[in-house]
Amino acid sequence: MLRHLLKLIWNKKGSHSLLIIEIWASFMVLFGVLSLIVYNLNNYLEPIGFEYKNVWVVDLNNNQDTTAIGEKTNQIMQRIRSYPQVEAASRMSGNTPFSANTMNNATSYQKASAMADDYYTDEEFSKTLDLPLTAGRWYRPEDRVSKSTPVVINKKLQEQLFGDENPLGKVLGNNDSESEDNQKTSFRVVGVVGKFKAKGEFMLDKPAIFKLLNKNDSWNKQVLIKTKPGTDATFEERLVKDIAAMAPGWGIEVSYLTESRANRQNLTLVPVIIFLIISAFLLTNVALGLFGILNLNIARRKSEIGLRRAMGATEGSVTAQFLGEMWVLAAFSVILGLLFAIQFPIMNVFDIAGGVYFTAIAAAIVVIFVIVTLCAWYPSRQAAMVQPAIALHEE
Amino acid sequence: MLLNYLKLTWKVLLRHPFYTFITLFGITLTLTVLMVLTSFLDHLFGTHYPENKRNRSLYITRLVQQDTTQQGRNMGPMSFEFLKKYAKSLKTPERVSITSLFGFANTYVNGKRIKLNTKYTDADFWGVTDFEFMDGKPYTERNINSGDHVVVITDDLRRQYFEDDGASVIGKYIDIESINYRVIGVVKGSPVTRPYTYGDVYFPYTAPKSNYQNKGMRGGFLAIVLARDEKDLPAIQAEFASGINKIPLPQTDGGFTFHVMKIAANQYLDDFAGTFLEGEDSRKVIVYSVIVFLMLMIMGLPAINLVNVNVSRIMERASEIGVRKAFGAPAKALLWQFIIENIFITFIGGLFALLLASLTIALINQSGWIPYADLTINFPVFAASIAVCLVFGLLSGVLPAMRMSKLKIVDALKA
Repeated sequence: MLRHLLKLIWNKKGSHSLLIIEIWASFMVLFGVLSLIVYNLNNYLEPIGFEYKNVWVVDLNNNQDTTAIGEKTNQIMQRIRSYPQVEAASRMSGNTPFSANTMNNATSYQKASAMADDYYTDEEFSKTLDLPLTAGRWYRPEDRVSKSTPVVINKKLQEQLFGDENPLGKVLGNNDSESEDNQKTSFRVVGVVGKFKAKGEFMLDKPAIFKLLNKNDSWNKQVLIKTKPGTDATFEERLVKDIAAMAPGWGIEVSYLTESRANRQNLTLVPVIIFLIISAFLLTNVALGLFGILNLNIARRKSEIGLRRAMGATEGSVTAQFLGEMWVLAAFSVILGLLFAIQFPIMNVFDIAGGVYFTAIAAAIVVIFVIVTLCAWYPSRQAAMVQPAIALHEE
Repeated sequence: MLLNYLKLTWKVLLRHPFYTFITLFGITLTLTVLMVLTSFLDHLFGTHYPENKRNRSLYITRLVQQDTTQQGRNMGPMSFEFLKKYAKSLKTPERVSITSLFGFANTYVNGKRIKLNTKYTDADFWGVTDFEFMDGKPYTERNINSGDHVVVITDDLRRQYFEDDGASVIGKYIDIESINYRVIGVVKGSPVTRPYTYGDVYFPYTAPKSNYQNKGMRGGFLAIVLARDEKDLPAIQAEFASGINKIPLPQTDGGFTFHVMKIAANQYLDDFAGTFLEGEDSRKVIVYSVIVFLMLMIMGLPAINLVNVNVSRIMERASEIGVRKAFGAPAKALLWQFIIENIFITFIGGLFALLLASLTIALINQSGWIPYADLTINFPVFAASIAVCLVFGLLSGVLPAMRMSKLKIVDALKA
């Protein structure tokens, strides 16, 4: 059967080559768009691991003021924590959740090494963001006296550095050149958190390490504030006024995590939606075209069908022949497309796990075959319904 | 003769509405996507309000410092001092403006927060740009020298902060981060897609928190250089480069020692591309070729579809061609008939696309997705689209028509 179909297709290779090119191109477009969607969907399905509602970010900037920055920041922190509207507050480095800033460094344990996102935070961080610990504890004020900086790592980093080993109490090496303030160069793991997808739902779950800020750090001046539900801009205005009075000349910028999360999401969603709309139109276009071409092609083969029917072929077997021809054609195009698509996981162009591409390829193949079947079904049925007498009479 | 062809075409189109629809759908879709895309690109890179002189402007926005081992690299905007020394001093340009990239601040009114994009500029900023003042006037060199707390705000901010009651807001005060600034001008806002001029509130650079006093090379400022004439641009670029080349290397800036320094005055498009094409590794090339490939696919797919449908349909009309050939029509006449037919339908598709694209663009403009968006179907975009229209028409017209006109009369009639 297959050999017969191949022979039939080969006999009309001229007009079929255009069809193959068209299906191939559709496959490539589908593969591209589906890779994008699968990648983002995969990430979206993983929880972000922390609570961002009611959390504000206050970005402090000392501008031209250069005296006693660390002390002033500590005073501001104390003041912020004293408000009744504030549940918890934590200082943090510039890479606050959903911001565009990133910081990463190679972190190593014995022979294993991994690039991890670096976050400098203080003791209240896990409370402010409701970041639950899966093992150990968050660092506490008394950890400051220890020789090494206490750190908390996330599950991903634990897997990459320690495998099945218990990470608690282990000391990490870190070639961190940025932290001139942090004199301590060794890091002791005190706790493990689950996930921390700081850039939002669409971010890949990456290794992360949280380091305790130096007491008089003057560099990292972002403050996360978890407010009680129902706190509004009136409190915000008062907060800004109070801070401005404590540190004249400083820049104070307040933003809400819910807002920055929405901005972040749009950055991912808008391109995906645009691509989705365009490719939906493209595929409709291709489907309509395919339908038209098949309709014409099959109508032209009426005499062949009439002959087959006269020789005793059933309606089903005629339909099966035309569907089969289209499937073989589609298979050709898809194999051609696979030669291109398979390069992505092999050459690792976009730093995406291979599984994403394979899912996208599988989904693209399914969609292509569904479209081809839908387009071929009606003309094939029409052809099968041809009365042998009429078809042969026309001839 | 032409009229005859057109009449014929019209009849052919009406004969099979379904196929006509497929063809039109393909053409309309492709052209709409193309026109919206070009319109958006034109919005991003073309010369538009308030950068109405962008075609004769150069942008100095990035300073890259590298050590020889290439291990360390710092990149970003520059300090005010640096630009004053190397950009402001240029002789060839008409004028040079130094402005901050952008900053954020909040202001509060009636328990509501307004998020502000702030910009610190010099007085020349109002000369290199063409902001439309709806009220008041820009700040001058005198305001800057005396360190006045004055601001220019956008109409949007006026509406939000002053609860627009029609009265002039000039001379009123706006409280930004606990400092009162006097409003001296109201401008029509600029879209966020023009980052070097976009802002909600413009301060003289001597206002508090601008950090223009910072020493060192890097900071938060960039320069826009306005040439007298487009022809002067290469001369200005050369003058700027020669000034930069005089800086002795290696240097230490902010604790970082570097041996290589990259900075250039670029036209807007080059400047924009520079932010993405930074660091020329082969990987980037692959990434870009993949994107180009995908775009080609998206554009090429409807074209292949069109050709495919046309090829199939011409076979359907074989008998008509047979009759015409039998009555002595030369292959050339047939070829012309099909080409005109295709151009005709492409133009109809183009017309639909024009309508659809205007609708899409109007939707984008009104959706508030980009505040102050001013996407338009302007003449260059429309001309480009018509040209593309023709290419598509010929592409899908010539190939099938060539095949058809070569058909033997007997074969044509038999089919």
